[in-house]
Amino acid sequence: MSERAMSPAINYRLQRHLKTGLLYGITGLVLIIIAFPAYWLVTTSVKVGADQATYPPVIIPTRFTLESYEAVFQTAGVPRAFLNSTIIALATTALTTFFGSLAAYALAKTYLSFALRRAIMLWILITRIFPPITTAIPYYVLIKRLHLGDTYIAVILTYVAYGLPFVIWLMLGFFQDLPADIEKAAIVDGCSMWQRFRRVVLPLALPGLAVTAIFAFIYSWNELLYASMLTSFNAKTVPVVVAGFISDQYLRWGEMSALGTLMIIPVLIFSSLAQRYLVRGLTFGAVKG
Amino acid sequence: MTASTDAPRVADRMGPPAWGAATSEPVVRQRHTRERWVSVLFLAPSILFLLITSVYPLLYSLWLSFHSWNMMLPNSRPIWYGLDNYRNLWESEAFRNSIRVTLIFVVSAVTIEFVLGMGLALLATSRIRAIGLIRTVLLVPLMMAPVVAGVLWRTLFHSTYGVVNWLLDLVGIAPQPWLGSPSQALPAVITVEIWQNLPVVAFVLAAGIQSLPVDLYKAAAVDGASSWQVFRRITLPMLRPVIIVVLLLRIMDAFKVFDIVFTMTYGGPGQTTELLSMLIYKTGLRFFQIGQASAMSWVFLIVIFIISLFFIRKLQQNE
Repeated sequence: MSERAMSPAINYRLQRHLKTGLLYGITGLVLIIIAFPAYWLVTTSVKVGADQATYPPVIIPTRFTLESYEAVFQTAGVPRAFLNSTIIALATTALTTFFGSLAAYALAKTYLSFALRRAIMLWILITRIFPPITTAIPYYVLIKRLHLGDTYIAVILTYVAYGLPFVIWLMLGFFQDLPADIEKAAIVDGCSMWQRFRRVVLPLALPGLAVTAIFAFIYSWNELLYASMLTSFNAKTVPVVVAGFISDQYLRWGEMSALGTLMIIPVLIFSSLAQRYLVRGLTFGAVKG
Repeated sequence: MTASTDAPRVADRMGPPAWGAATSEPVVRQRHTRERWVSVLFLAPSILFLLITSVYPLLYSLWLSFHSWNMMLPNSRPIWYGLDNYRNLWESEAFRNSIRVTLIFVVSAVTIEFVLGMGLALLATSRIRAIGLIRTVLLVPLMMAPVVAGVLWRTLFHSTYGVVNWLLDLVGIAPQPWLGSPSQALPAVITVEIWQNLPVVAFVLAAGIQSLPVDLYKAAAVDGASSWQVFRRITLPMLRPVIIVVLLLRIMDAFKVFDIVFTMTYGGPGQTTELLSMLIYKTGLRFFQIGQASAMSWVFLIVIFIISLFFIRKLQQNE
C-alpha cells in the first residue's frame, strides 16, 4: 500500500519543484533582459576605447578605464550643464513641494465649497492628461516675447507648472492619511491654520513630503522637451546635452555612456529611497495610494 | 468594492461621489470665514501658476490655430486664417500618417506592456521569493531618463556594432538595419517604450494583486482550481478596476512619448516613426509654422480627451 500511495506524492512534489524551478528560470531570464541595457550603459562607460564600438561587442569587459568620464568633463558645456540641471531641479523641487503642499492642504480641508474643490481637482486631472507638446508652441512664443529664452527662470517656471498638479495630488493623499484628531487637538489649543499646517501637519507628513520632493526632482532632472526648446547655452541642462551628443558624435559611446551613467545615478539613489511609495507616484491621477 | 481596501483604492477622487476628503469632515465650525480666506491664500499661488502656465497657453494656442504665422519671417505677425489650418490638416498626408503611426505605437506598446507586465506581476507575487530583486531590477528602466534610454538603445540597435544584431547572429539571423529601416524603426522604438514602461504596469498590477483577499484563493485551492482557472476566474475579474487604471495611465503617457523618438530616429527614416508629438515639434519649432502646429495640438488634445474620457467612464461604472 505504502508504495502505491507514495508515488503520486513524490510525483506531485517533483512536479512542484519543477514548476518552481521553471518560475525561477523565467524570472531570471526576464530580469536579465530588463537589466541588460543598464549594465551595458555602465560597462561601456568604463571600457577602453578599443572595446566600445566593436564587433563582436565586448559583453564582459576586462580592461577598465575612467577616460570616458574625464573626456566628458572636458567637453565644453558639460560641467555647466550639470550645474544648470542641479540648480533648476533643486529650485523646481523646492517651489513645487512648497506651493503644492499648501494647495493640497487647503484642498484636504473642507473650508472651501465642495464644488470649488471638485473643480480644482478636475482641472488638475485634466492637466495630467494633456501631452506637454500641445502647450509647447504657445509657450515658446510666450517665452520668446518675454525675452526669457535660455534663462533659468523660464525653465523653472515651466517645470513648476508641470510639477504642481502632481505634487498637489500626491500630498493630498498623504494629508488625508493623517488622523484628524491631532489637528482637532491643535485647534483646541488655538493654533491658526498656518500654524497647524506648519507645526502639526507638515511634520507629520514629512515622509510623504520627501517622497513627493523626490518625484519632483526626478521629473525636472530628466525632462527633455521643454529644456531643448527653452535653452540653448546658458541654461542648457544635461538631457539636452545627452540628446545632442549622439547626433553630433555618433560613435563616442564611452562618453555618451559616462554622461548617461552620471545622469541616472542621483535618480537611482533618490528613487530607491522612495520605493515604498512608488505605486502611489506611478498612478498619479487615477488612484489614491 | 469588496477587494482592495488598503492598496490602490481606485478612482477615489474621480467620480462624483468618491470625493476622498469627505471622510475627514470639517473639524470645527467656528472661525470658518477666516479659514476660508486662509484656504484661498494657500491655493492662490498654485492656481495662479496653473492659470499662467496651462490655461493661458492652451487658450493662446487655440487662438493661434485660427491664424497663419510663420515665425521665421522677421517681424511677422499672426494673420487671421479661419479654419484653414484645420482644413489643411484634413488634407495633409503627413498628419494622417502621423496619426496612424501614433495609434500603432500606442496600441501595440500598451498591449504588449500590459501582457508582459501582467506576467511579471504574477511572477513577482507568486511563491518564488524574489520580490525584492524583481522590484530593484524593474526600478532601473523606470528611473532612467527617457533621453538616456533613447541614446542607449540606439547603440544597442546599431546595425554594425549593436548587441541586438550580435544576438541575432548567434542564432543565425542576418544583421538587420533597425533604425535605418522604414519597416523596423517603429518596432524598435516601440521596444524601447515597452522596456521602459513595463515596470509601471508590473508595479501597479502587483500592488493590486497583493491587495486581493486571500480567502478567495484559499477557497479556490480547496476546490482544486488550476492556476489558469484561478487567474481567469478570480484574479482577472477582481483586478478589473486596477487594470482599467493602468491602461488609462499608460495610454495617456504613451501619447506623450517624445524623448525616445527624438533621440532614436527623429521621426525617420522618412516619416515612419513620426509620432504626433514629433510632427508638432517639427512643424512648430523647426519650420515655425506656428498656426499649423497649434491646430495639430488641438486635434491631438481632443483625441486624447475622448479616449481618456472613455476609460474614466469605464472606471466610474466600476465603482
